[in-house]
Amino acid sequence: MCLLLGTAFAQQRFAVIGKVLDSRGDAVPGATITEKGTSNAVAADDAGNFRILVNPGATLNIAAIGFTAYDVPAAAAVKVRLQNSNAMMDEVVVTALGIQRSKNSLGYASQEIKGDEISKLRTNNAAAALSGKIAGLEIRQGNGIGGSTNVVIRGFKSVTGNNQALFVVDGIPIDNTNNNTTDQTTGRDGYDFGNAAADINPDDIASINVLKGAASTALYGSRAANGVIMITTKQGKKGLGVTVNSGVMWSRIDRKTMPDYQKEYGAGYSDPYDEAGFFVGDPDGDGVEDYIVPTSEDASYGAKFDPNLMVYHWDAFDVDGPNYLKKKPWVAAQNDPRDFYETGLTVNNSIFITGGNDRASVKLGYTRNDDKGSLPNSRILKNMINFGLNYKITDKLTISSNINYSRIDGNGRYGTGYSGQNVNQNFRQWYQTNVDIKEQKDAFFRNGRNVTWNWADPLADPSELGPIYTDNYYWIRYKNFETDQRNRIFGYVKADYKLTDWLSLMGRITVDNYSEFQDERIAIGSTDIPEYKRFDRSFNETNFDLLATVNKDLSTKLNFKALAGVNLRKSAISSTKIGTSGGLVFDDYYAISNSVGPLSPPIELYQPKRVDGYFAGATFTFDEFITIDGTFRRDRSSALPVDNNAYNYYGISGSWLFSHHLENLDWLSVGKLRLNYATVANDAPWGIVNDTYTYLDNTDAVSLALFGGGAVFSLPSRKNNQVLKPEQSTTQEAGLELAFLKGRLGLDLTFYKVNSIDQIIPVTTSTATGYSSAYKNAGEMENKGIEIALTGKPVSTPNFSWDINVNFTRNRNKLISLFDTAKNLLLATTQGGVSVNATVGQPYGTLQGKMVETLNGQKVVDADGYYIETTTTTNVLGNINPDWMGGIYNTLRFKDISFGFLIDIRKGGSVFSLDRYYGAQTGVTVDWAGLNDLGNPKRDDPADGGGIIMPGVTEDGKINTQHVVKDAYVALPVSEFVYDASYVKLREVVLTYALPARIIEKTKAFKSIELSLIGRNLWIIHKNLPYSDPEENLSSGNIQGIQSGAYPTNRYLGFNLKLSL
Amino acid sequence: MKKILWICAVPLLVLSSCTKHIEKYNDETKRPVEVTGGPLLTNATINLVDGLASASVNTNVFRFTVQQWAMTTYQDEVNYDFFTRRIPDAWWSRYYKDVLADLKAAKAAVTAIPDKDILPEVRANQAAVIDITEVLSYSILVNSFGNIPYSQAVDIGNVFFPEYDDASTVFSDLLTRLNADIAAITPAAEGFEPAQDLLGGGDMAKWFMLANSLKLRMGMTLADIDPSTAKTAVEEAAPNVISSNDENVFLSYLESPPNSNPLYDDIVLGNRREYIATELIMEYLQGWSDPRIDQFFVPNTSAGEFAGSISGKVSTRSSFSLPNGNISNPTAPALVFDWTEMEFLKAEAIERGFAVEGTAEGHYNDGIKASIFWWMVNINDSAEIDAQAAVDAYLAQPGVAYATAAGDWKEKIGTQKWLGLYNRPYEAWTEQRRLDYPVLKEAFAPISGYPNRLPYPAIEQQVNGGSYTKAAAEIGGDKVEVKLFWDIN
Repeated sequence: MCLLLGTAFAQQRFAVIGKVLDSRGDAVPGATITEKGTSNAVAADDAGNFRILVNPGATLNIAAIGFTAYDVPAAAAVKVRLQNSNAMMDEVVVTALGIQRSKNSLGYASQEIKGDEISKLRTNNAAAALSGKIAGLEIRQGNGIGGSTNVVIRGFKSVTGNNQALFVVDGIPIDNTNNNTTDQTTGRDGYDFGNAAADINPDDIASINVLKGAASTALYGSRAANGVIMITTKQGKKGLGVTVNSGVMWSRIDRKTMPDYQKEYGAGYSDPYDEAGFFVGDPDGDGVEDYIVPTSEDASYGAKFDPNLMVYHWDAFDVDGPNYLKKKPWVAAQNDPRDFYETGLTVNNSIFITGGNDRASVKLGYTRNDDKGSLPNSRILKNMINFGLNYKITDKLTISSNINYSRIDGNGRYGTGYSGQNVNQNFRQWYQTNVDIKEQKDAFFRNGRNVTWNWADPLADPSELGPIYTDNYYWIRYKNFETDQRNRIFGYVKADYKLTDWLSLMGRITVDNYSEFQDERIAIGSTDIPEYKRFDRSFNETNFDLLATVNKDLSTKLNFKALAGVNLRKSAISSTKIGTSGGLVFDDYYAISNSVGPLSPPIELYQPKRVDGYFAGATFTFDEFITIDGTFRRDRSSALPVDNNAYNYYGISGSWLFSHHLENLDWLSVGKLRLNYATVANDAPWGIVNDTYTYLDNTDAVSLALFGGGAVFSLPSRKNNQVLKPEQSTTQEAGLELAFLKGRLGLDLTFYKVNSIDQIIPVTTSTATGYSSAYKNAGEMENKGIEIALTGKPVSTPNFSWDINVNFTRNRNKLISLFDTAKNLLLATTQGGVSVNATVGQPYGTLQGKMVETLNGQKVVDADGYYIETTTTTNVLGNINPDWMGGIYNTLRFKDISFGFLIDIRKGGSVFSLDRYYGAQTGVTVDWAGLNDLGNPKRDDPADGGGIIMPGVTEDGKINTQHVVKDAYVALPVSEFVYDASYVKLREVVLTYALPARIIEKTKAFKSIELSLIGRNLWIIHKNLPYSDPEENLSSGNIQGIQSGAYPTNRYLGFNLKLSL
Repeated sequence: MKKILWICAVPLLVLSSCTKHIEKYNDETKRPVEVTGGPLLTNATINLVDGLASASVNTNVFRFTVQQWAMTTYQDEVNYDFFTRRIPDAWWSRYYKDVLADLKAAKAAVTAIPDKDILPEVRANQAAVIDITEVLSYSILVNSFGNIPYSQAVDIGNVFFPEYDDASTVFSDLLTRLNADIAAITPAAEGFEPAQDLLGGGDMAKWFMLANSLKLRMGMTLADIDPSTAKTAVEEAAPNVISSNDENVFLSYLESPPNSNPLYDDIVLGNRREYIATELIMEYLQGWSDPRIDQFFVPNTSAGEFAGSISGKVSTRSSFSLPNGNISNPTAPALVFDWTEMEFLKAEAIERGFAVEGTAEGHYNDGIKASIFWWMVNINDSAEIDAQAAVDAYLAQPGVAYATAAGDWKEKIGTQKWLGLYNRPYEAWTEQRRLDYPVLKEAFAPISGYPNRLPYPAIEQQVNGGSYTKAAAEIGGDKVEVKLFWDIN
């Protein structure tokens, strides 16, 4: 710091007076003049004049819309002439393999976003921050702490394979697997452990470029078939630079995404029980029988609340509680489950130091993100270190390296799905509205016991008193929690050698290495079997790349670029999973050795893989307006049968900058046409070629291996295939880029069509074959769509500017065929009998199940007034794909204040809510109580004017007017609980104030100080799914469209201070 | 510059040397590519017996079908709803996928052992053990569904969507195979390792007895439809079947999951407390002061009395008898063949005029004795003298005594056999269908008529539609009320 101050002190600032002109000598008003490397900037006036105070030796950057930016050394007087430019599209973007290209020469779609736009949000997940910003990119992020992010570009292409985009950081492909179990992703039970791309430090990102189509990604090989999120990290710059970010965010749940609890009726399943809906007994032994709440009944279709009625609640049986053997009025709870959620707190600090001289540059960054969730006892702590070095040893040889270390410690991730470890399973599906959550809290913290409201038998002897289905929620959070840890190192070392002025060589080794550990515990005294289990997994990948690049002007008008290279990839996954058996021996001792029963052998995996590839590409650019690209790659993969393990990719793309011929059109700054065609092949998942035996049971969850002294082995349920061949997909894409009015308005339009054929699919067989499925090359899936990106600058004055970015995506997906006569492939089933399917002739991911019979499109009721259900279970109730998605980003800048906000829109797509399905059978929410159309209580007997009308028609087509009972025993068909998943969200709001240069100057230490007020997910402007967030999902992956025990949206609000030294 | 090129070439050189056998990377090193027959037989046997023993509402609901157990809250399965929980899918897939597929692989593994490594009679014994287990498994499938995939089944290399075979043709082929297996056994020679052979413990004499017991059962199944085949099979088998409880064939479960008794996993670990006695079984047990009542059930908690509930009606748990915990011990044995069953089969054979030693009454009395002894002595460890006294007292009642018990031989034998097959729900269902006694009560709110068969799995409709439709038409419709080919009376 002393050094810094000293340096600052030594500087003597001076004034520069200047004028900005265009090529014809006319004044350019409103140009921005920036002292490079600082935030010190001024705007030129209407006559193009400016004055700025700068440090000695400073460089000025002069930028104006519609002109090429220009750097000039600071002098007392400066006059610059700016050249008309092709505006905003004449920028350099990073393409596959890190090659920099002029965007005007690209024959395929790509969309770039600057690192600032990610880091200023202070989110801990860079992928989630892309939502709504990139056309063609669909992000789905659940509301759990540290949950996985589904990142799909241009729709689901593979029926059962991976559909996630590939993350590449500085040329290093990052494994983005989530290891969530099938049970977790289909809504049974488990935890969402997130995916590995969360290990990328948002503060280290210089830019993200999204490569959407196969033509742009073919050089990466098959892994990039689903598109690439290409991240370029920050690099050291000349001189010392220090950036410190310090931010705090608070989060509260959005109460509109939780149930609105009815306050009229309490515990019970529409049954009189002993009397009037209560148990009857004499707990206090005074010889008078009293009413007791039916604690074993996890529903709220019970007795009507009556403040004058004194009854024994659950707490009357808590021997340590203040209400032991005391009656209380029969009323609704003061504090409902929404009050279980706490205020989340995220504290985020980071420091980045960069430096360099003529030959070398270096960067070192450290970020600590401490995230306390809104559920009690939940925390995710991330520590990330980024180090980069670049050293130009000679004029020809440069060596560089980038090393990233991250450590994530998770504690108390949210239990998901239909699980006792997910509090929302109860809050949404099985709850008594008379239970006060604060009283449950006090009951747990009084002595740390599992004091539930859900006593199996309230009159049981205190030693026998225990829960029937549900533990105390605080017990769940503080006793039955998980922990996890992931340590990861990824990075590269690289040497670049400039052989001649037109030929360069690059050699690089990249490494991605992580190990993770997850454990789960169920304490003694819980309703579930006490257990401890752990999962240890490691992943490593090494890539060896050798690349030669050519860049040569063949004539004054013809430029030739080419590259050729080799890529060798080695990766391996290794894991072990083991758990206790039959319970735990000792309390609060969580180790495998604490098992009651003998252990089953651990489930071990070891999956090494090897892919060798070579590739070449050539680019011809004629007179800077016509560019033709060709790429070729051939891979050989260990995962395919040896006779058929090599496969090729081809891509050809062209662009024509037609505005080059229309320079006299003032209003058109850029006009470009793009066309491309590419084929991509893909290998198989690991280990599906040769048959092996298994030691797991038929759910693949328990290892058998030994029965006493005898070994146990079995054939697996899935038949492998020794004659598999690679999968194929072809992509056709056309695009148009236009910029008008010197770049004040821009349009980027893309049409594409992707057909994936010969997919490697586990075809569902008759189980009379001895197998449930068999791998085949079969099936074709088609995705076609439109992407539109619009940019505008409606206002641009020196003091005030308004930028607007709009993007729109529409993808249409269709499964064209499966194997042979097979028409359906079941992806998942949920409770209630809803399945997620890939069905021929339908979009991927149809939700199917029984539905209400219809007559002329109207739902039909029977003579009793209840819905008639179909017997078939294959009715399509919806599908997971949105009709379209869009985002609108506005940035308003007034002097030193800028204000940005993002509206994120998804239209269409469906979600099945198991929460609403069961919630209707337990009557917890307001819509199952209250008054009917006649103004009488819905729950009253229809004979007394109560009941509800099932909207629809009778079997002879007349409008149904019959009132019927809707109680715990009337289950509505699942089709009534498939909802439109549309939403409009105010996703981001950022208000930033940068301290003016004159104040910064006085500090003599800082280059800039920025204070930001940040809001995320502040407002769901529109949705059609009651009491929940339509975006909430269980996990990333192919199984979407199911909500079970859904978590509410977290609204984040906080601030960040950014200091640059 | 040479140096630089060399540096760049290093990664290439290092790596190109290791890629000769790239396919090796895809080899599974944590699971075996080849195993011997024993571990496969073990797995098949566990899955076979687990299915018979289980009381999970997702697996085996026949205790409800034959009205020995009822449920407190959820009445779907008790009221014959097999669809909600896709029970036919689970039952079918268990026997095809988890039993027959492994047996087929076991057979291939046994055959693949080089001649010099194994004595011919041992090889023949092992092949017979596998084939007998296959016959038993197919007999369960055919007696559950009717027509089933057989000639094209378990042949994934050739057929993904097998056609169904006629049930009686399948049954007759199974009997032929069983005869050949019995002939192939050399009782004095070795079979599988004792630890791998969970039913026979490596003892081929036991397998000889097991095979004959199966033959007696299968022969009798044909008694109404094909008396001459039945007579031959029953007369051939009868002298060689189980004739004491010590010879009973059962799976001996271990202390902890996954190798504990499925009833322990379900009732104790799974905390399922909704199984209760039926009114029907209580009528018989209480009416004749059955000494097994304490072995089967415990008194209710509200009044300390034995009480059974109406099948299919919501019932408060504390008012009814729960199953005795003796069947849900982790190590509780699961019977596959027993002395009780054999005695009742012999009694029936004599009534049908087949040449079997003894009298119908004698075998009937022995069947009852076998059952009471099993529960009192083998399960509960009572003194044999007490058990004999209990048997004598029980048989002394006019309602029980063969001479005076109500009805014809079918009713007498059927009723006592139904009690004797307690906790053997699949066999109890098959024998009740065949003998039609005891007369069951109508479930409280049945969704269909009495199930004489399981409907075909829903997934067969979806993936094997052509074969399914043909089979359904041939058996007279895929309905639960349709009777199987042998169920003609």
